[in-house]
Amino acid sequence: MAEMTLFRYLHRDTVLHRMDGRLKLGSMLLLSVSASLAGALRHYLVLFCLLCIALRVAKLPWAALLKELKFFALIIWVVLSINATTIPGDPIPNLPLPGVTVQGVITGLRFAGRLINIILICVVTTGTTPLRTLRHVIEWCLRPLPFVPEVRIATMIQLTFALIPVLFIEFAEMSRAQKARCLEVRKNPIKRMYYTVLPFLEQTLHRTDQIVEAMEARGYSEIRTKAAFKSKTSDWLIFTLCLFVFLVIVFTKRG
Amino acid sequence: MSIIETQDLTHIFPDGTVGIEQINLKINAGEFVIIAGANGSGKTVFARHLNGLLTPTKGQVLLDGQPITKNLIEARKKVGLVFQDPDRQFVGQTVAEEVAFGPENLNLPPAQVDSIVKASLALVGLSRFSHQSPRVLSGGLKRKLAIAGVLAMKPQIIILDEPFTGLDYPGVVQILQQILRLHAAGHTILLITHELEKVLAHAGRLVIFYQGRLVADGRPEAVVHGVERYGVRMPLRKGEEVKELSWLK
Repeated sequence: MAEMTLFRYLHRDTVLHRMDGRLKLGSMLLLSVSASLAGALRHYLVLFCLLCIALRVAKLPWAALLKELKFFALIIWVVLSINATTIPGDPIPNLPLPGVTVQGVITGLRFAGRLINIILICVVTTGTTPLRTLRHVIEWCLRPLPFVPEVRIATMIQLTFALIPVLFIEFAEMSRAQKARCLEVRKNPIKRMYYTVLPFLEQTLHRTDQIVEAMEARGYSEIRTKAAFKSKTSDWLIFTLCLFVFLVIVFTKRG
Repeated sequence: MSIIETQDLTHIFPDGTVGIEQINLKINAGEFVIIAGANGSGKTVFARHLNGLLTPTKGQVLLDGQPITKNLIEARKKVGLVFQDPDRQFVGQTVAEEVAFGPENLNLPPAQVDSIVKASLALVGLSRFSHQSPRVLSGGLKRKLAIAGVLAMKPQIIILDEPFTGLDYPGVVQILQQILRLHAAGHTILLITHELEKVLAHAGRLVIFYQGRLVADGRPEAVVHGVERYGVRMPLRKGEEVKELSWLK
């Protein structure tokens, strides 16, 4: 089965892969908030450069990732177009396209910059963190909270992350199988959906059942091994750098 | 005393379909038992009862003389079940994570989990794949990984549900060698299959299921001649003997 690289853990021996999961998640959280708060072009550029360096340091496969990010490029293009044409403002001089405003393009570009940075944060986090570590970090974070079933929540998140790419692949496979039997000939889009979406939902539920059985067969329990975390100086340095970027964006935004 | 025993084990599904009916079977420690039968004969339902995944409508499963319902976690530790389709049972994103799932359920210390994972992967020859995604492995390696996941629980009994399905010749040989190694190491093996020609020479006992009932049980030489009437292909050709029924040369 062909394997997606996007949003999947890719094992390498790098400082980001070895980083303490708690500090890594903390750093990525700081960068995500920074991306949401960023307002000026320089903010987006700083974050973008930092994330590109992180991708390089993590030795993640650029070419494969860019190829798989095509879907997001389409979203960005659609949102940019909608913003550019629907937000009222001054028309762009000498542009043959009617209805496109300067304010609309700027708003669209801001959205695009934010989305690109957030996608890159997700790529770096998922590419360098095994789901098992992610689960342990979530458990660790939720443990002090009363009445919160931290193990159950962490397991649910782990299973969701593990299953999403598999379900994508299965949906594509199912669509191909239906196309091979000339589903496209049917004119009615609802009928077409009926023959792809419903079987897919049924298959997803069936698969969920099987996973639950497999987990039970190996004695799934909520009293589980707790991870032993260790943080190194390099981990704290990366965290401090992210904190610095976050503070700079917060204060320059206010200023 | 038998290591695992079923008494009048019956499973009727909510829609009234009879999965298995009054199965009485005793398995001794160290045995290599093959359970054969046509599709829908109740083999998989039976296997799931041995691991406590299903609750019987009637009857019970005894593990070391005790009903498995007394301590299901202990039962699942002692009786490892390798599912028919390994792809559908993987919960880990990497090979190592997949094997660690069982020991983590047992709440073992992290260092011990790591050493068990390493040992289990080494046992099935998957150490060099520990950081790969289970889904990119070949069919044979996926089965080995499923076995490693079960071995990490240190089971006494290993149940393999149709372990040869969908495997090419080298894949079958790999898995068969692995099963024989596990048996030689002292594990009790229950192998569910209808492909008797691949493995029967290595088994000490052949059990046949038909329409949810246990219809034959004994030495393979004694039972094999009647298998066709229960929907299982007769593996012996003219002049062939049971000891020749193996894909290992």
